[in-house]
Order: sequence, then structure tokens, then C-alpha cells
Amino acid sequence: MTHDPMAEIRASFFVECEELLESLQDALSVMADHLEGDGAQDTETINVVFRAVHSIKGGAGAFGLTALVSFAHRFETVMDELRCGRLVVDHDAMKLFFQAADMLADHVRLARDDASGSPPGSETLLIAVEGLMGERAPEAEEEEVEFAPMGLSFDLALPDLGGDPDGTAPAPAEPDMGGHSWTVRLRPFDTLYASGNEPFHLLRALSELGSASITCDMSMLPEFDALMPETSHLIWTVQLTGDIEESDIRAVFDFVEDVAEITIIEGSDSAASVHAPADAAAPDAPVAAAPAPLAPALPVPEALPVIDQAADQPADTGPVRPSPPAAQAAIPAPQAAAPSEAVAATVRVDLDRIDRLVNLVGELVINQAMLAQSVTEAGLPANSAVMNGLEAFMMLTRDIQDSVMMIRAQPVKPLFQRMARIVREASAAVGKEVRLRSEGEGTEVDKTVIERLADPLTHMIRNAVDHGLETPDRRREAGKPDEGVVTLSAQHRSGRVVIEVADDGAGIDRPRVRDIAIRKGLVAPEAVLSDAEIDNLLFLPGFSTASQISSLSGRGVGMDVVKQAISALGGRIAITSERGRGTRFSISLPLTLAVLDGMVVRVAGETLVIPLSSIVETATLAAEDIRSLGPETNVIHIRGGFVPLFDLGTELGYRGPKASYEGGIVLLTAQEDGSRAALVVDEILEQRQVVIKGLQHSYGNIPGVAAATILGDGQIALILDPGDLVENATGRTRSADTLLALAG
Amino acid sequence: MTAPLSLAPRLDLPAASPLSEAIRASKGQALNLDAGNVAHLGGLCLQVLLAAAASWRAAGQTLRINPRSQAFEDAVAMFGLAPAQLESEGEA
Repeated sequence: MTHDPMAEIRASFFVECEELLESLQDALSVMADHLEGDGAQDTETINVVFRAVHSIKGGAGAFGLTALVSFAHRFETVMDELRCGRLVVDHDAMKLFFQAADMLADHVRLARDDASGSPPGSETLLIAVEGLMGERAPEAEEEEVEFAPMGLSFDLALPDLGGDPDGTAPAPAEPDMGGHSWTVRLRPFDTLYASGNEPFHLLRALSELGSASITCDMSMLPEFDALMPETSHLIWTVQLTGDIEESDIRAVFDFVEDVAEITIIEGSDSAASVHAPADAAAPDAPVAAAPAPLAPALPVPEALPVIDQAADQPADTGPVRPSPPAAQAAIPAPQAAAPSEAVAATVRVDLDRIDRLVNLVGELVINQAMLAQSVTEAGLPANSAVMNGLEAFMMLTRDIQDSVMMIRAQPVKPLFQRMARIVREASAAVGKEVRLRSEGEGTEVDKTVIERLADPLTHMIRNAVDHGLETPDRRREAGKPDEGVVTLSAQHRSGRVVIEVADDGAGIDRPRVRDIAIRKGLVAPEAVLSDAEIDNLLFLPGFSTASQISSLSGRGVGMDVVKQAISALGGRIAITSERGRGTRFSISLPLTLAVLDGMVVRVAGETLVIPLSSIVETATLAAEDIRSLGPETNVIHIRGGFVPLFDLGTELGYRGPKASYEGGIVLLTAQEDGSRAALVVDEILEQRQVVIKGLQHSYGNIPGVAAATILGDGQIALILDPGDLVENATGRTRSADTLLALAG
Repeated sequence: MTAPLSLAPRLDLPAASPLSEAIRASKGQALNLDAGNVAHLGGLCLQVLLAAAASWRAAGQTLRINPRSQAFEDAVAMFGLAPAQLESEGEA
């Protein structure tokens, strides 16, 4: 079987967990800010923390994830103390809460990976967190979270059951615990069972919320001979009392909303007469004859509507003839009965589906280009109806494409939150006080980009904490506060997203960087290097400035790996640093990995695409612009500087160097570090959006080639990566023949 | 004559049909179900047991569940039922 519904539900639980963990982090950050401010905590924020932990516990309970439930429960207990105002937050407590939130995330991940047990340090941390409660700390919390005892009742009218066993009496009214009372009705569909769920877990989770009285409605149960074992017939009603919010109840059903009918009504269910005594329950007249006094759509929140579902039960069914009060529970309670809930602002969609949509839109763009080409070839006048229609169609396609790309876009916030954790862990490891400031968390970036940014960013953050920031002593000497600040920011800038990691540390010690590079043989001792060039030495493979290997860095896996990862995303990375003031790394990335604006050029009969973002300008070469440099290379003189000249045809192996580049067209490209290169092409065809089709799966990494695209005429064109191309280029723009020609 | 029938430890969806078949095979005679090893009782098997009890009751036959594991009893309670509802006293 390729389709495992249980796995899907589980997966959606873990997606939900990520969201809850995110809101937990958010709320904790707000609490930390309050602490920094006037020290007063606002109850709603604490509630958010509590609810996040509580919801994770609830969901985990439904899946029997005991370690996670246990941790969340104990964490929640402490948060409850906080909620009740019996616990005062201070700096240390805040630290522990953050650690507990991190640990909770670890628990979730362990559970997701089907690993048993707890992450290392879990118990120690819990004890520390519980220590905040002082005397009130539970002496020995039970591992298994026990559920509240509950009254039992059942309502089945079985004429031959004999007497009145323990069930037919109405459930005793629960003592008012000062909280809410709720009536929750659960009618599982067949699919609930088929998807591996069990009402048992749901009932248990409900009963853990407060005092519960559970009633089982068997009125729909057919006779044994007619029973299809895999069809759902039982319906449960749970009377809940306690300090319970509707959201708590909803949280229990988070993963079964689609596979069961769930009705949650505030107040006890006396009006619905679920507990009607048996003697009143068996009228002689077939229930079917009853004219259904309450219509299904009756919007009475206090009463479960009565529906004559029993109509399809023959009147002579015998012992299991349904009683009207029982029958009322038989049919989906109409929407009106459910408390009106705010319209969901988001829809959770499988990423595969979005990817399929993105691909289809890509095809649409290609198709539209093909259509445009055919129309042009047909030679229709420019203002013909077809042309106008096509123009409108093109605009529409562009809009659709933008919208679809937006679906994949996600705020960088979860990524930034992960980085907050890295900062906490890294600063603890090296004994520095570090605060992470994040800016532009709402900036949206393609999901694929976000995922692939995690590793490079982790590395950069660790670097900033370990190398960037000084020790507290050094900071004090420099007149800075003990606490270092690492700023992580994201913003959109001219069609790209720029992510920056900045620290307020000592800045790059350029003489030292240079010495190390010379010692390691990375640069010649006599080389004259600009500041930017020295800074860029950090990106050289094997470069490490850490004089001693700390637990975090200095093992030779350095910024070169970061740079590679960023270039693999079509991005660029740059450093700026000021002595004594800090260092800033800027990553500039394309917004999406699916389309790009490119310049379509022709080189040696081949059509190629060069990303527009890397082209600074185009020019036609005049004879006096070209200067020779060495036996095989040329540079061009442009805007008062010299730029190396590369012949794309030669670099890509299509042809040898041309005899003369006079009159040739060059594209001037620039890299993030400011280095420039001139690429010779034969012809510029057009500037257009192209759909990126990855080649990595089929061909692996090809130097200088980023991806491919399909053009309007169906032709495949390579999308070049000028930076990479230039790095690996030979620079040959003169051959022996040309030399001879020049000599002759 | 009571036919003994031992219940599977996990009475979940895959167990519902076999359970129903097994009980059906004993129709017309007193039946004793051994729930001593039951670790998990799911909603579907609960339905089978409830319907069987009703059927046995209607026929005036005895159906007992004995022994019962703690997990079984807990689950029955959690489902809002009493063990007696899963049994039939019979007439004799």
C-alpha cells in the first residue's frame, strides 16, 4: 500500500507541532522583552505559552507519544503556576523556559523520528524548571499522566437487559468546579478507524481535560448478523467540567476533524436529553413516523437536534429498537449547532501539490511563449485581435505565476527562531552573553530556499558568536556592554531577498587574516590586497582564524562551505567589516528557485540564458577597448577600469577564441564582492522570464551552468551562472593563430 | 457447554472481522470469551462485542467475558460502558 492515512495524520500533527513551537518561541520572546522592559508580564502571552505546550501534549496523547506527553505535562504544570501568578519570572527563569521550549522541540523531533525515550538532559532540565516552583514542586510526578476519574453512564434502551444495571440512570451532575461545562459529541466515521485512529485515545484525551462523564450511544448498532465489523456505529457523548476552553477540546480533535463528526456545545446537555431514562425510551409507534419535530438545521445551540435517522431501522428490529432520545444522536449535527468559529485564515496544503502547480504554471509560461512565437511567425498585424488577446493572456500568465510563487513563499520566521536557539546554545558553549535581534521575520522567501538556508545560517551565527563577538572582558575594555548582539535580518531588495548576519564584535582583524592566509600558502607574501580582498580570504577553503579550536568552530570547515551552499541557491554572499564595530555578512538570494529574469543570448549558434541579476551592462567592443594581457588573455577597458574578457563560446567549448573581438557584444557581469567580468556573446536575443528546470538530478553539478530552461520554440537553453563560470574560466581570448596573425 | 474463545491482545481494526467471524461460529451456544490478554480494545471490536452480547441476549444464551485484563476493563470504562453490557446472562 502506498497510501498510509495514519502516517499522514501523524505528519500533520508534527506540522502542527512546528507551528505551536513557533508560537511558543514567539510568546517566550515577548515575555523576555517584557522582562527587559518594566518586568510586568501580560497574561495573554503567558496563556499562549501555556496553550502551545498544552496543545502539543494533547495531540501527543492521541498518538500515545508518552515521553513527549510526560515532558509537556510537567512543563505545562510549571507554566500553569506562572499563569496563576504563583511564579515570578526572572532572568534565570526565562532562560530555563527557553531551554525547556528547545527541549520540547527536541522531544517532538524524537517522536517524529519514531525514536523512543527522551533527549539527553531532559530530566535534568525538567527538575531545574520544576525547581522554579519551589515548595510546590511535585515530589514525584507520575510518568504516565493519569486521567481524571469519571462517572459512567449509558443510555441504551435494551428492553431485555433486565432491570436497571448501572447504566440507565442519568449521569450524576458533576460538581461545579468553577470552570466551564461542555458537551462533546463524537461520532466517528468509518474513515476514523480506517486511518488508524481510535475513539479510545480521543476519549482519554478528553477525560484528561477535566472531569468527564462518558456515554456511549449504541442505538445505531445493527444486529450482530447485520453488523459490518469495519463500519462505525457507536457514538459517544462526553460531559466535561473543569477549567476548559473550547480550544482545548478542539485541540484533542485536531487530527480527526475530517474523519469524525464532532459537536462541541457549551453547557451540560440536559436539554438534549441524552440521559433519558430507559422507560421513557421505547414508544410503541415506530420512530420513523415521528415528524421530526426538530429540523436538522435548527440553530439551537443548547440542544442536539433530533433527527429521524431511525427511519431506516425497521420497527420490528427487536431488542435494539432505537429510542428517540438515542436516535437524536444519529445524524451529523448541523453546522449551526457547532459554535461558530472564525473562518480559518490558512489552509494546509501538501507541498507536493504546490510543486505540481508550480511546475504546471512553468509549463504554462513555456506554452504561452510558444504560442507567442507562432503568432509572431504567422505575421499577424500588431494590433490584431489575436495579438491583443495574446498580450492579455501574457499578463494573466505573469499574474498567475506570481501568485503561485507566492503560495510557496513563507516567512523566514521559523528559520530565525531556529537561529535563536543556535545563539542560545552557542553562547552557552563559549561563555558569552549574546542576544539575538531579528528583523524582518515576516519577509517571505520560497520554501525551498528557506530549507536550504538553515545550514549556512547556523554556521554563520555560530561564527558570529564564536569569532565575531569578543569575550565579556574584552568588550568591557572596548567600552561595550557585556552582552553582545547578533542581528539577523531579512528584507526584500530589488527582486531578491537579502539576509544579513551582523555582530557588534571586534570586526575582522585584517592583518591577522592576511598573516594566516600567507602562512597557509593561500596568498603570496608579497601580494597587495585590498580590504575587501582580505575579507574574502575568509571564504577560501580551509581558512580558519580561530587560534584555538573551540567546541563550536575552528575545525577547518569554514565559510567556504557557506559560500558554496549560498551559490548553490543562486545567491551571493558578501562581507563588510569595521574594526571595533563588528562584521556583517550579507546573503542575497533569488526570491524563488522556479523562475528568473534572464537575458537570452546566442553564442556559436547555441542559445543561452544569463540571469539578469548578474548583468550590469552590455556594450559593443571597440578596438581600443581591448588590451592584451599575457599570451592568451585580454582585458577590456571600460568605465575607467580593466575587466577580464571571457569568450563564452570558448569557455563552454563551442569554439576556439575568435581572431578579433572588435565589434563584439559583451555583457558586463558583477559579483557580490564587486569583481567584474566581461563575457563575449554573438548576439543578444531578448530579455525574458524563464522557467528554471534543474539539471542537478540528471547531470549533477556542471561548472558554470546553473540550470536549463525551455524556450518558446521548444528549444532547451542552458542557464549560466556567470560567477561560477568566471571562476573556472581559462580566460583564453587569443589563440596561437591569433598570435601568429598579430606577428605576421 | 461453553465454547472458550481467546481474544487477541490487540482488538483494533484488523482484528474486528476475525473477531466477528469467530464469535459468529459459536452462534447458538453459550460462549466464554477470554479477554485476559487484551492490551487494547478499539471501537470496532467493541461494537462486535456489544452486538454479539445483544444477539446472545436475544437468543437467551449465555455470553461471558472472563477473565478480563485490566486494560480491557479500563477501555470498557473509558468507552462509557460497563462490562455487563458486553455479556449475556442467558436464561438457563
